Formats: sequence, structure tokens, C-alpha cells
Amino acid sequence: MNAVQSPERQKSATQPIVYHGEFTTVKRLRRRGWLLMSPGIVWLIFFLALPLFGILTMAFLSRGEYGGIEWHFTFENLFNLFGFGPLGWARDNFVIFTRSIILASVTTLLCLLLALPIAITISRSPRRWRMLLLALVMVPTCVNLVIRTYAWQLVLGNQAPPAWICQQLGLIGPHEALYPGAFAVYVGMVSCMLPFTILPLYSSVERLDWQVVEAVHDLYGGRWHVLRHGILSQIGPGLIAALVLTLVPSLGMFVVSDLLCGAKFNLIGNLIEQQFHSASNWPLGAMMGLTLVCVSLAGLMALFRWGNGLGGGH
Amino acid sequence: MKRILPLLLAAVGALAAADKPTVTVFMYSEYIDPAIPKAFEAATGHPVNIQVYEAQEDMLAKLRTGGTAQYDVVVATDVVVPQLINSKLVQPLDAAQIPNAKNVDAKFHGQPCDPKNVYSQPYLWGSIGILYNITAVKSKDAVSWKLLLDPAAQPGPFVFMDEVRSMMGVTLLANGKDINSHVTGDIKAAAETLIAAKGSTKCLGFEGGVGGKNKVVGGQAVAAVVYSGDAARAIVEGKDLAYAIPVEGSNLWVDNMLVTVAAPNKAGAHAFINFILDAKIGAQNANFIQYPTPNAASLPLIKPEDRANTVIYPDEASMKRLYLLSDLGNDTKTYDAAWTMVKSR
Amino acid sequence: MRLGKTAFTATLVGFLLMYVPLLAVAVMSFNTTARGQRWGGFTTAWYVHMVGNQKILEAAWNTLVIAVASTALSTILGTLLAIGLSRTPLSKPMRRCTDLLTGLPVVTPDIILGISFVGTFAMLRSLTPWFNSGLSTLIIAHTTFEVSFVALVVSARLAMIGQEQIEAARDLYASTHVMWRKILLPQLAPGIIAGALLAFVLSVDDFVVTFFLYSPTVTPLPIMIQGSLRMGVTPDIHALSTVIVAITTLAIVGAALFSRKPPTEIP
Repeated sequence: MNAVQSPERQKSATQPIVYHGEFTTVKRLRRRGWLLMSPGIVWLIFFLALPLFGILTMAFLSRGEYGGIEWHFTFENLFNLFGFGPLGWARDNFVIFTRSIILASVTTLLCLLLALPIAITISRSPRRWRMLLLALVMVPTCVNLVIRTYAWQLVLGNQAPPAWICQQLGLIGPHEALYPGAFAVYVGMVSCMLPFTILPLYSSVERLDWQVVEAVHDLYGGRWHVLRHGILSQIGPGLIAALVLTLVPSLGMFVVSDLLCGAKFNLIGNLIEQQFHSASNWPLGAMMGLTLVCVSLAGLMALFRWGNGLGGGH
Repeated sequence: MKRILPLLLAAVGALAAADKPTVTVFMYSEYIDPAIPKAFEAATGHPVNIQVYEAQEDMLAKLRTGGTAQYDVVVATDVVVPQLINSKLVQPLDAAQIPNAKNVDAKFHGQPCDPKNVYSQPYLWGSIGILYNITAVKSKDAVSWKLLLDPAAQPGPFVFMDEVRSMMGVTLLANGKDINSHVTGDIKAAAETLIAAKGSTKCLGFEGGVGGKNKVVGGQAVAAVVYSGDAARAIVEGKDLAYAIPVEGSNLWVDNMLVTVAAPNKAGAHAFINFILDAKIGAQNANFIQYPTPNAASLPLIKPEDRANTVIYPDEASMKRLYLLSDLGNDTKTYDAAWTMVKSR
Repeated sequence: MRLGKTAFTATLVGFLLMYVPLLAVAVMSFNTTARGQRWGGFTTAWYVHMVGNQKILEAAWNTLVIAVASTALSTILGTLLAIGLSRTPLSKPMRRCTDLLTGLPVVTPDIILGISFVGTFAMLRSLTPWFNSGLSTLIIAHTTFEVSFVALVVSARLAMIGQEQIEAARDLYASTHVMWRKILLPQLAPGIIAGALLAFVLSVDDFVVTFFLYSPTVTPLPIMIQGSLRMGVTPDIHALSTVIVAITTLAIVGAALFSRKPPTEIP
């Protein structure tokens, strides 16, 4: 149905077509579309894309002796990224990168597993309460993340009920707490990112056609099939949005892991922050940050292409 | 007429005071007696706006990104002062507006970061050491850094300070090297020591601010690397706690007051610095925050129990093994590579 | 179709995970111990102290103003962007460009965003004093990174809206204006609201970008809270957080209770 994909592109731009029931031309559609998009696009170009070019330049400059930025172009930061530093080659950057990817992926998976049932539950509750439940999902985010994570330290401490139960069950030693450790970090991360998964997912789950799900249930019967063919196939774009909005911020996070794992293991976020703070090496920080942007963007574009672009692509 | 004149004068005075611009001071949180800004406003008419930062690097980042036009006075630790000076973020002080500078103990003038005190005047100083629980750490010998850095000697759960120069510096001292070593081999060895120490299950990790101290006070840890002022407070708040400057030595830090290069209220900034250096005000501040004062004229006015408290005012022997940190210039990158190693493995 | 125990357990676990920290914060706000995590005794003194604290109230007001303004702006921009993107036939390279641009704020780490804003505003400041650090720059910066999130959420929603209704409306000679008002926007409403909610909390909780752009006279709440964390989280910050949660929850519940009955949904 997409007239743009026809080989006679020039001719079809002014040829009348029927676009979602509307009798119009591609040209007019494009004009109207750009009118709608331009405020957002111009804003983003002016306040984001252009400044990022400045950061790109910074990534190839060098750190001044006293922490400033020197106009001396170098590829040193690029080498640094791959581990070549003053102490010779170090595998730390790769370790950090892998660690961050694993943390972010597992967190996203856990969040998705929890978010889908929650989104479905909310979308099937009485209409009046849907917005309420949705807003209640977002309320915890109003509290500062650091405060919430400190609260997890309290809850997972060695004198609080959860740790006490685990001690009785013999899962951990007699005076041990449930943190610092990987368990605590994942609890903290999921607790923090869950609202960001639920919201985009809900956005498309709410329009789920349950008759299709029923049909799949009648045809296949198994729960897995119902899930895959009935639900997941319908909410593709929402799933992708949820995935993106959870995975990408998780990649850059470090506060939760610092507070719940004793800041013992650096993540990408720690590394970048270190460059802008104690190292006062802004060019290196810019290089690392931009690499993260590129990697995430590549993943994002791949996901979008799989979902046929934003908005499902028409 | 007799009645109106004083009223008129008061009104004019109030108007004049209202015209006086604010002095914006950038310092650590809870680092000044709240009564002092009020006293300053009463004395000079300048209102004071205390802005806080959590770490030196936050302050540096803020100043580098346009903050120089927003803040008048910044309080900076000696180790970052060279960065401030050479990045042209601060301006030379007008000595004529700070007559109280003569009150400062000569020991605290002429620090390596600003040898002629062109840009800075000292504010407060202190040390870094180990806060520990006496019952848990039964050590007959003097306390050493090996208590925390040697996995075999660790007494129980403990916390490191999440600060690169402090931790690397004390580890270098523990290894018998210079606290400001520029030798790559030494730095790498220090990093490896820290990695070994951190790897033990007794190490609860790195915490900034008062995290370590709170854990010792709360009983979740038996030792922590802390600032002396926090230790003084912890000993009062907790039970059976003591603070020690280890035998190998430790870091002496001095917080200084500087004026930003584009300070909106230059006169007010100088007046504020001069006010703090006043003998009585300096003593009032130090008594409240319980950090030692560099102001020799204030010393007689310090509370006797604070003066005798070796946590706040270390004895001669301890002072001899306290060292200042210096800016490392280009070798900062080596330290950061080492710190990344420490934090990642 | 029955939802089954899985959905129920998941919902329970999810809400537990999200609300347990808030409960702990609320409990600690009544703690007499000023610092540390030990329980000293019960007191409401911190709430009283907080109400009298001028700085906290000012910071909270700043945060609210910035959040409301940036949410409004970003919701409008983001929704228009999403609708435009889905309703315009674009060539593949063009679509890739717009997708890239829209995704940029989501993938950029906060620190990089913060620094790039600083640079931009430093340049713009030389043209007009309107871009001095403070409310205006904060609102602009917050809007910029929120636009993407809103666009993503609304797009996901748009993709789900069936084309049949729109085509039916067109067949009945509905003009674009009518079609928007009666069909598209009402159907899109939950998505727009979800996006706006997301934008609001992103603004309220933002620290890094705000850190680079705040000024001594406009200090939002996260900055104030962070600055005092060095000495340990005090119960009056716990009290403040609890109050924020309480007010927000009450407002939402109130809105839900007193909202008029929603119009019958088109099945």
C-alpha cells in the first residue's frame, strides 16, 4: 500500500492515492507530515544534534595538564577506549562494557517479565481505575533514586525481615545482610526501571484485541502459543519501546550498583562519570559517552528496523 | 523632627542594606556554623547564599561550565587548587581587603598549591585515618594501614573511602612510597594492593561522604577510612570507637577559600573571607563543626576539650606523618587508569 | 479469558518492588535518630522542621515549575512528532534519519547531554541574556530529552490504532480536523497521558542534566538532596519524599474519584 516503494517515485509523488481512506497525494501527505513533525525535529536538531557535534570534536582533543581542554587533536582517547593506557594494555574497559551489558540485559528481561502481566492487569481493570493504577506505577519515580536505593539498603540490611527470613532458612550466614551483592543490585535495578517498562508496554497492551488472543487459545491451546502468537505478535511496537526505554537507560546507570554492591565493580556509567569528575579528562569522557551513544543507537536502529520504524511504518 | 530623623536614618540604612548584593559561597554541606552567615549579614549588610556541593569534582565541573559568574567564594581542598589557578577559574586576592590574613598560623600559609597565598586563604584542615571499633580491633601495636590493606590482617567488615587520591595516596604510603608518587611502577603496585584488599569478603566496598563512618557507628562495619571531623563525631555518637592516623602516615588536607575569576560581588567575597579569618568567628566556626582551625589567633578561643582531643588536633608525632597531596599534572591519567583497574577487577 | 495466577503474582511482586522502598522511607521519616540507619524512636518533628525550611520549599517549587512546563512542551512536541512520523510516507533513508534523531536523547548518557547543553547555552548566551542559567535553560533542556520518550510511547500507541476506524471516518466524508478531534486524539489519549506521565517523572527525578544547568538562585530539589547526602540522609529528606508521594497519590486518587464517567468506548 505504500506508494513510496514503487519504482516510479517521481511520478507517484503527485499522483492521487488512497492513504488510509484519505484521497490525497503523497506530496500533500508529506507536506502535512512535515508540518506536524517540524517543531519536534527542529527542536531536536537545534538543541541536541548540533551540540553533539561539539562533543564529537571534544572527543578528539586532549586533556590539559590541569584538567582543562587543550586544542590539540589526538587519537589518544580512542586508544584509551580500547584499553591502551598509561599502564600498558588493560582489559578493564572490556570487562566493564561486558558487565554493563549483562546487567542491563538481565534487568530488562526481568522487567519485561514483570511488566507484561502488570500492563495486562491494568488494561483489563475497570476503565475508571486504569489511569489511577498507571499513575500509581509512576509515583515511586517521584522520589529521588538515591533515596530509594538507600531505602533498599535499609530493607535488605541484616536486621530487617527479608534478611532475617533468609538467615532462618539457611540461605545466608547468621549475621549477613542481603546486600552488597548481585541479588541486591538486581532488586534495586528492577525496582527502579519497572515503571519505565510498564508505561510504554501499557500504551499498546491497552489496545490489545482479546478476540484474537481467544482465537489463538482455541486454535493452539498452550499458554506459550497464546503468549507468542496472541499477545506478543500484536504488541510488537510497544514491546520494542519498552525494551528500548529500559535497556538503554540501564546501560548508563551506576548509582544503584554503587550503593547496593559497595561501588566495587565499575560500570560504563562509573567510567564516564569518573572522566568528568576525578580524572578531569573531559575529552576521554566525551569519547566514551559518544561510543555508548553509537552502540546504543545501532541497537536502537536495528530494533526499529525489525519493528518497521517508529509508529509501525505505514 | 527629633523623632523622625532616626526613623529616616533607619529607613535609609535599610534601603542601603537592601541594595547590598548577595555573597554566594560554594562549599561542602554543613560546613559552616549557620549563625556565621547571619552575623556577616548583620555586620556588613551583604546577605549570604550558601550553595553546597557534594564532592570537589562537582565544584570543579560547575566552575568550568560557567559557574565562575555565579559564585563569589569557593571552598576548595588544596589538591585541586592548582587546577583552579591554572584553568583561570579564580582570581588573585586583594590582600588589602583581607587584613585578618595575619591571624593564620604560618604553617598553613605557603602550601605547595599556592606558595605565596596569592589566590587562597585557609579555611579548615584535617586528616584522613582509620575509624575503628576498639573491641573488634584488638591490636597491641600502633594501628597500621595493613589492618585494611592486608587480607590476612582484616579484622572484620570494613569500608574504604571512595576517593581516588586519598585511597591511592595512603596505599602508596603503606607500601613505603611517596604519597604523590609519579613512578608508574609504584602506582601500579598500589593498585594491585588495593585490588587484593578489596577482593576479600570482609571489604564492604567503597563509600563516599559519611557512608563508612555511619556503618561503623551503626555496627555494620568494624573499621572505615574517614575524615577526622567525621571520626570525632562518630566517637561521640557511637560506642567503643577510636580514630588513628596509621604509622605509615596519612593525608593532611587543607580547605581553602578562593574568589572566582568572574565573581559578581568581588568586594563582598573579600569581606567574607576576611570575616571568616577573624579570630572570634574562626573559633566559633571551628567549635561548631569540630574540625581544626588554621587560624592561630582563634586557637585560644577553641573549646578546651576539642583542643585536647587528638582526633581533631593531632599530636606532634602524628602531625609529622601527615602529608599534603599535590597536583599530579599529566600523571593524573596514570592514577586514573590505576583507579579504573581497582574499581573494575 | 482468565488472567490466571501468573498475572496476579507478577503484579504483586512488581508493586512490592516499586513500593517497598517508599514504605521504608516513610518509616524512617519518623525516626528520632538524625543520621545513620538505626531506629531511635518515633517523632513527627521532622515534618514540622521541613515545613519551616524555606530552602526545601523553594527547591520543591522550582522542581514543580520546571517539570510542569517541560512536560507540557514535550508532550505537545512529542505527540506531533509521533503523529507526523506515522502519517507521512517517507523514503527509507529519510525514515532512518528521523528515527535516529528521535532516538538520540534516549541513547545519550546524561552527562553528555548535560555538557552539550552547557556548550549550547554558553553560545546562545552571547546572543541574548535569556539563556542565562536558570529556569529557562532548565526547561529547555528537560523538554529536549523528554520529547523522545513521549514520541516513543505515543508511537507505540499509534501503531495499535486500527486503520479501519479512520478509513471508515474518511468514507463518511470526515474532514481531517473532525477525524482528529473525534477519532484519533481520543484513541490516542491513553498513550499521550502515559507519555506525559513519563516526561513528568523524568523531569522531577533528573539530576545530572540539572546539575550542569542550575544556578544559585534556581536550585531544584534533586540538587539540594544530593548536596546534603554527603552528611548522610537525614529524616527530613525522608519526610519530604514521603510528603511528595502522599500529595501525588492523593491528587491522583482524587482525580480518579471525581473524574466524570468516561464516554462509551467504541468497541
